[in-house]
Amino acid sequence: MLSTLIWLPVLGAAIVGFLPGNLTASRLRSIALAIAGVILLVTIWLLTQFDINSSGLQFQEYLSWIPQLGLTYKLGVDGLSFPLLVLSSLLTAIVIYSRNEEIQRPRLYYALILLVHAGIVGAFVAQNLLLFVLFYELELIPLYLLIAIWGGEKRGYAAIKFLIYTAVSGILILAGFLGITWLSNSESFDFDAIATQGLPITTQLILLVILLVGFGIKTPIVPLHTWLPDAYVEASPPVAILLGGVLAKLGTYGLVRFGLQLFPETWPIVAPGLATLGAISVLYGALSAIAQKDIKRMVAYSSIGHMGYVLVGAAALTPIALIGVVAQMVSHGLILALLFYLVGVIEAKTGTRELDVLNGLLNPLRGLPSTGAMLILAGMASAGIPGMMGFVAEFLVFQGSFAIFPVQTLFCILGSGLTAVYFVILLNRTCFGKLDNKLAYYPKVLRSEQIPALIMAALILFLGVQPIWMLRWSERTTTAMVAAVPTDTPQQVAFRMLRE
Amino acid sequence: MTSFLVQTIWMVPVYAILGATLSTLWLPAITRRTGPRPAGYINLLMTLAAFIQSLLAFPLVWNQPPIEFTFTWLQVANLTLTLPIEISAISVGAIAIVTGLNLLAQLYAIGYMEMDWGWGRFYCLLAFFEAGMCSLVLCDSLLFSYIILELLTLGTYLLVGFWFNQSLVVTGARDAFLTKRVGDLFMLMGVVALWPLVGTWDFSQLKLWAVSEATQEYAAAHPTMFALLGLALIAGPMGKCAQFPLHLWLDEAMEGPIPSTILRNSVVVATGAWILIKLEPVLALSPFTLSATVFIGLLSAVGGSLIAIGQIDIKRALSYLTTAYLGLVFVAVGTLQNDAAFHLLLTHALAVALLIMSAGAVIWNSVSQDLTQLGGLWSRRPISGSAFVVGTLGLIAFPPLGGFWALLELADGLWSTKPWLVGILLVVNALTAFGLARVFGLIFGGKPKQMSERSPEVHWPMILPMTFLLGLTIHMPFVLQRLGLLPNWQVLNKEVALLLIWSSITGLGLGSVVYLNNLWKKPVQLPFKPLQDLVSYDFYTPKIYRFSIVFVVDAVSKVIAWFDRYIVDGLVNLVGLATVFGGQGLKYNVSGQTQFYALSILLGIALFVGLLTFGSIDFGF
Repeated sequence: MLSTLIWLPVLGAAIVGFLPGNLTASRLRSIALAIAGVILLVTIWLLTQFDINSSGLQFQEYLSWIPQLGLTYKLGVDGLSFPLLVLSSLLTAIVIYSRNEEIQRPRLYYALILLVHAGIVGAFVAQNLLLFVLFYELELIPLYLLIAIWGGEKRGYAAIKFLIYTAVSGILILAGFLGITWLSNSESFDFDAIATQGLPITTQLILLVILLVGFGIKTPIVPLHTWLPDAYVEASPPVAILLGGVLAKLGTYGLVRFGLQLFPETWPIVAPGLATLGAISVLYGALSAIAQKDIKRMVAYSSIGHMGYVLVGAAALTPIALIGVVAQMVSHGLILALLFYLVGVIEAKTGTRELDVLNGLLNPLRGLPSTGAMLILAGMASAGIPGMMGFVAEFLVFQGSFAIFPVQTLFCILGSGLTAVYFVILLNRTCFGKLDNKLAYYPKVLRSEQIPALIMAALILFLGVQPIWMLRWSERTTTAMVAAVPTDTPQQVAFRMLRE
Repeated sequence: MTSFLVQTIWMVPVYAILGATLSTLWLPAITRRTGPRPAGYINLLMTLAAFIQSLLAFPLVWNQPPIEFTFTWLQVANLTLTLPIEISAISVGAIAIVTGLNLLAQLYAIGYMEMDWGWGRFYCLLAFFEAGMCSLVLCDSLLFSYIILELLTLGTYLLVGFWFNQSLVVTGARDAFLTKRVGDLFMLMGVVALWPLVGTWDFSQLKLWAVSEATQEYAAAHPTMFALLGLALIAGPMGKCAQFPLHLWLDEAMEGPIPSTILRNSVVVATGAWILIKLEPVLALSPFTLSATVFIGLLSAVGGSLIAIGQIDIKRALSYLTTAYLGLVFVAVGTLQNDAAFHLLLTHALAVALLIMSAGAVIWNSVSQDLTQLGGLWSRRPISGSAFVVGTLGLIAFPPLGGFWALLELADGLWSTKPWLVGILLVVNALTAFGLARVFGLIFGGKPKQMSERSPEVHWPMILPMTFLLGLTIHMPFVLQRLGLLPNWQVLNKEVALLLIWSSITGLGLGSVVYLNNLWKKPVQLPFKPLQDLVSYDFYTPKIYRFSIVFVVDAVSKVIAWFDRYIVDGLVNLVGLATVFGGQGLKYNVSGQTQFYALSILLGIALFVGLLTFGSIDFGF
């Protein structure tokens, strides 16, 4: 079943790519949307089949592909990857739906988006390290093209920067994986065939740090983040949704799956540093966002801050914090997607993203009242106001981490306050204020353009009021993950003594 | 039937939510067809239903043990979050007050917002507040109280920013949101920190935990931790109740529509005090926290009543009194007098609502809220005038109205333990009386001025709720008597009562002498200019903020943005540039001349051999 989710988009990309050239962009969009719709339906069907009482892998598939290399085609999902899989299917459909104007080279555009989806799904379900790297690198090329061809003014620079950073991240991850497998004398690259416990603790540490840097670039963790603002801002809004909503989750997913799960002995050793880096990311992202003048850049920096919570929660490693981590990944993906979508609508209608130019969008007659109202909702959700899913995730992270890392957690709460500061700046300047009568001849936002935002807003509210629908999928898995990490093994104690 | 009314009292917030949801249907498209009013009428009906139910349920729960039940909201990992509901006389009573005042405010808004097109939004937000406050008094959990506080913070932002195309409104909304959010987040820190200690957020269990001997000993052993915890927990109420130094937002929130001000200054601010009272057992674990609570309360009470006298804006002159009175509530909680605190909240809510209704009526058709431009309205607006008088007397210690009994209870409790606090209480009472007499004199006394030449009494939708509330405030003593809240004549502390009465008389008398006297030149200047400026510029708090926290955050964010752009990103670009230049430099190697290639091969071999031999020599040792 999981193969369907990988190969259906690939097949779809092939179909879209080889359709006759005289089809209009809107026709192509309908075809791509139909494919994405089927993918979403399959995902929803999986949602009904997923066993929430199991902590292990589900829907497993196995094919011994190149056994000589240790490369097998082994797929499976658990409570960590499944919510992200669903999020990714949903956002891909929204991304395809949201580009309704005529664009250049539509066949390539839709084919690439479907390919990105295939790569992301592959990475989430791959249970073989080499297979993961393959998908992880594979998704990079279409994204590079998506930024470089359909991006904004400085798209070339941003795309190259993104490419180099992510390629370095991929190489580091590959190096780490090779090291793990070879040093531990494992037969294959299968995730469950590998155990790092036999390795000396310093070797483990070196390997873990290599992986942390690799995934840290993707997440991103400050100071490895500079590709992010450029890539997010220069990418067109739908691509930014893909980048921020789904792709960044590959980084945090990798941190938990390959960092935490493969290195149960060394993870607690790096955890304090990781939590501090997380808190720094939170504050750094929020403070940088305050100084921005471009709303898209502001939202991009907000993303850096929000990934910091994930880091703190993952470092704390309590059952509550870890489920908060999964929740935060999902909620951040959805909220960021909504924010980017609305920013895209505003830019399309008003022609600007400048805070100093925009004003009074809530004006019921000549502004963009419904877009403005949803922007308020999205901004407040991102700032962690209760009643929306962002609060639940952040609260779980805070509550779960406080006992382990009180100082870092308190700084994160402070960061949450700073988040409110820049969102209030954003909302005050864009939604509130007096509409400039000379400029305000904006085209109407069509009902069809509001639908994706309404869907996302409804989900954000629903999952904020009934968070169990977001948490039930991952509860067993995260609890089992925490239980699998031993505390105070002889090596950890020795290491701690060594450091003191 | 009886139990049904009580059992379903938790539905009251649902009515309001229903009304709020329905009024969001009045989008511009529908409003153009039907006009904005139906949205208001729907909410009015919902609030009426809520009010009637709470009023009918109140006698049924009076003197009954509280009914408690819980909903499980979230059960995940080892965390179970339940929503405990407590239906007691005090919570049902509070619901009756909240819905009643909201009903009056909504009626008032029909008149006040006559020409406005934003009814859907406005009534939706009023209903949102009603729902929030009713659920707050029903829920018995610190976590959910925090959640509701945060939601109300968002509500305040939207409600203050209702007329968002005026720049003062926008900054007011921003400041209201951020100030309250700061308080809320500190409170969240407290909430998060409390869990590992107690393992529950239910107020009833927290109380049991706090009074247990083990906890007392533990707290005595860790004074710093409990002091920090307590300070974090009172930060939320401080923000909500507009206490120093988080008081600024209430003043700026006056830019919002008056009907929302009625609600805000009477009951919304009381939500913070409500939580503070519920938290009292936890706060009592740290003597430092209690002293801090008293100190903050005193500062706000004295500061607020002083600043109120220096304002020339009617709404602001009244709004600072709210800061002052909630400061007294803080003092009450800090000295462990919860009953007095509740009592103060009740009398303050009604009196302040009445004062603001009266002032709002004046503002509405005088088109000015500048005290220096009004005057001589007593003969033209007898109803508004009497409402103001009754509101004043109901607020200060003026027997037999409500405020007297509340202040007496507080003063009586302080008399034996901390008599100097009674002294400050008397000063605050006198200052309040003076300030209100001043406002009354400037609006209703003297000769008509520029903006009050043509200023008749307002129309019935505003007068009706005002007169109703006027009646209620006058009848407050009877209500208190029925509820058994009046002290017995034998145990009445007559000295304190007399002192209170004298302080009121002094304040009112001085105020009247100065401001109802046509011979006295107005505006009154204090002989010492800096003092006058200090008071009228709100103790320079806005300036202090601008040069401290706002400046720091702004500067730090700019520095970090600069650092991000030029150092972090600059370093990355430098590496990129170096690579590009390296490549550019190397391309000159590819010259196409055989001699050059031969030379480079030779050099290469020499280097290689050199390294190898060097290596072997090295190995030889």
